[in-house]
Amino acid sequence: MDGIRYYDIRHVCGQSTHIEIDNRVIESAGTSFFDHAVIRALSAKGWGILTVDNYSGTTDKELETLLGKAGRVSAITAEEVSLADAKRGIRNVPSMHEDPRDVSIGEKAGIMISIEKAATIEGIVNTRANYTERFEEVTFKDSSGAYEHYAICRSGFGIMAVASRAGSLQMGYERRHSIRGLNIRHQQDLGRSAAERAVALLSALPARGGTMNAVLDPELAGVFAHEAVGHASEGDLIQEGNSVLAGKGGERIGSPIVTIVDDPSLPEFGFEPCDAEGSRVDRTEIIRRGVVAGFLHSRETLAAVGNGHAGNARAMPGEPPLVRMSNTFIEPGESNTDELIAECRNGILLMGSRGGQVDPGRGVFQFNAEYGYLIENGECTRMVRDVSLSGEILQTLHSIQLCSKEKRMHQGYCGKGGQSVPVSDGAPHILLSGAVVGGSVPD
Amino acid sequence: MYPIDEILRKGSVLADEVEVYISEGLSVSADLKRTKVSRAVESQYFGLSIRTIKEGKIGTSSSSNPQGWEKCLNASLASGSLATPQPWQGLPYPAGLDSRPIAYDPSLTPDNDIIVNLLKGMIDGASSYPVEVTSGGASLSVQTVTLANSNGVYYSRPQSHVTASIETIRGNSTGYEFGNSYTLDLDPISIGERAGFLASASFGGVDISSGPYDVVLSPVAFAQLVGAVLIPSLSGRNVHAGRSRLGSSLGLRVIDPALSVYDDPFLEKGLSSTRWDAEGVPTRNLSLIREGILENFSYDLKTAYRYGKESTGSAVRTGHGGGPAIGNHNVVVDGPRKDIMEDEAIYIQDVVGAHTANPLSGDFSVELTNPFRISGGNYEKPVRKAMMSGNVFEMLGITAGLGKDDRVIGSLVVPSIRLKKQHIIGS
Repeated sequence: MDGIRYYDIRHVCGQSTHIEIDNRVIESAGTSFFDHAVIRALSAKGWGILTVDNYSGTTDKELETLLGKAGRVSAITAEEVSLADAKRGIRNVPSMHEDPRDVSIGEKAGIMISIEKAATIEGIVNTRANYTERFEEVTFKDSSGAYEHYAICRSGFGIMAVASRAGSLQMGYERRHSIRGLNIRHQQDLGRSAAERAVALLSALPARGGTMNAVLDPELAGVFAHEAVGHASEGDLIQEGNSVLAGKGGERIGSPIVTIVDDPSLPEFGFEPCDAEGSRVDRTEIIRRGVVAGFLHSRETLAAVGNGHAGNARAMPGEPPLVRMSNTFIEPGESNTDELIAECRNGILLMGSRGGQVDPGRGVFQFNAEYGYLIENGECTRMVRDVSLSGEILQTLHSIQLCSKEKRMHQGYCGKGGQSVPVSDGAPHILLSGAVVGGSVPD
Repeated sequence: MYPIDEILRKGSVLADEVEVYISEGLSVSADLKRTKVSRAVESQYFGLSIRTIKEGKIGTSSSSNPQGWEKCLNASLASGSLATPQPWQGLPYPAGLDSRPIAYDPSLTPDNDIIVNLLKGMIDGASSYPVEVTSGGASLSVQTVTLANSNGVYYSRPQSHVTASIETIRGNSTGYEFGNSYTLDLDPISIGERAGFLASASFGGVDISSGPYDVVLSPVAFAQLVGAVLIPSLSGRNVHAGRSRLGSSLGLRVIDPALSVYDDPFLEKGLSSTRWDAEGVPTRNLSLIREGILENFSYDLKTAYRYGKESTGSAVRTGHGGGPAIGNHNVVVDGPRKDIMEDEAIYIQDVVGAHTANPLSGDFSVELTNPFRISGGNYEKPVRKAMMSGNVFEMLGITAGLGKDDRVIGSLVVPSIRLKKQHIIGS
């Protein structure tokens, strides 16, 4: 281990269970097993990293050999990596009201079938339900003597319904994921609401594209916070010069009613007891009352960039950590949702999310609503489909006119660098002025 | 030697049929932070997936532990006990296939020098333009995939894969380019030059007004929309489940007669070329759409048996527990080629948010990456910001020609395409 200034090992083993039901046929259901480790060594310059499958049972002597190899792998690095000090310590994993592992997979499949059945209404031609459960046991240790160990179980489900009429197809879906235990009981109403939305979308109008006022529901406004601000605040992108927020610390980029936060310590789906480098997790105000207040960091990016604290290094099992969001949200404001609709006057209410994407260097983002309603003379009128929204990071936060009082969080997975990690996004309803809406009907 | 025979023997006692799929390999990669390598990674990976079939009940399980096969086998049997029974007519028998690998370079070994040279080449290429490199990466992997079943199939295939990519920026204009190949024929300098050109030439973009415009989608942009909408609509499973807009259109014209779409698993330059699919069915050239007419959907064994069809050898390993599911090998979009850059249009290098398209209806609206006004084959002016909305099926209904620039992008092989009067939302 000559010349190694620092090393750490993150070992994750566990099992994942899934149930997939398609038109009441259990297509597949079962359990798989994984056991992955990532060994990182910092020698003269940058990281040498080994990823190893089936690490359990590795002896101290074998580890020494692996560390030596990681050191040799780092020989081609040229960037001098420094690590900032980070607070240590682990938070308790929130308790589960019902451990999914205590419920047989047969019983879970039965419940999922009942949710799927609730989605079988007139006009629906296909229903699909899936359940996932992932139990991870994580051990982290590093050359400073830090040692953390925890176990966490994430589970959840999705239901999709497809409606068809005269060759036209539309879908509605609902999904819920949790770290608080089995969440599939008494959710049949969600099956029905997915189906009703799919049927309603068959009669929805295609949206008119152009620049207009838009009200975003909490799910879509959460995606907005994630895509429009969250990614651009990631310390690795700032360090690479690939974010429009680089060098903008302390600058006003939005209206004073806008505060955007990332907090892995919240007991939501993006919760981490400690991050993938063993750092303590805590709240970061990325935007505080319209001003860039902090970035998200690993120990490496904190040392390189500053402005914030470590604790946002996250990784899929067996993958090296990257700077990632966790639970990202816009703080609520003081208005009622009705006031937002009235104030919007003429525009569009966008609801639900089909996902989004951002080019942080260029500062442009895009995301898609599941459905929406026209707002005409301050009232919601006809339903519209297939509507997306794009914008520019540095302008868009100025266009938030109002935030409602109530925030809701939604769960999902976020992809970056080939890795997908659990996150939650949330917001109150927000009113945007002059939003660029993409729809298929010319203005 | 891994105890495949033992798994098959033990599994055959407990189930009607057993299948073992193993992928193992080694890869090296390195990432740039700006122009310096900040980390180098060496990965060893192993994945075992077992499928059991008993009285039509299919079970799967996977494990990354080579010693854990008994646990994995038991989990597969338990998984099968929950599944709804399927009409099942058996796993394939050995087909006497040509054992010579396709798209594999036996001379490649994971070597850091190759990685460093790829990265250096890309940085050099990008430096021809007034841009900064923000990040990049290169990787080299060699892998062996083995498939065996209780009917005597025992196939093994080596694979090699080289990747290189680089991101650049000028002001707030970004550029990205990448290359993938089974061998070392990537030209890192031209990859770097293209990324440099895209960021540099996009600098100082002008606004355009909303309206209908003729557009040229680069292979990258075209592949995004094809992959998000057209490919899922050709899966037999989606068709029979009522999730495909093309479900009842066999034999009908579904896209422009100038276009054909087929899956060519034997393509020499393909990244997913193979003589046998993920469950051991011999692969074939599969015509999906011939000159605009829908000819076939793709099937795996399970879907084929259920609906009285024949497997098209289209199974890939993307299912739960490492199980097989319908996919594709190298889907080629083909047709007569011409110069499509000559007349005025908006050239679109890439799109942001293709995955948010509606895969059922085909409706999409995406943000454009590196859009340019082109004329006379030249990039005239960059466009600062615009969206494009439409419907993938309708967009492919009338096209204005395919370019001469085929490109392998994942499991797709597509050229650039010219389209008339697409709905662009400017600012």
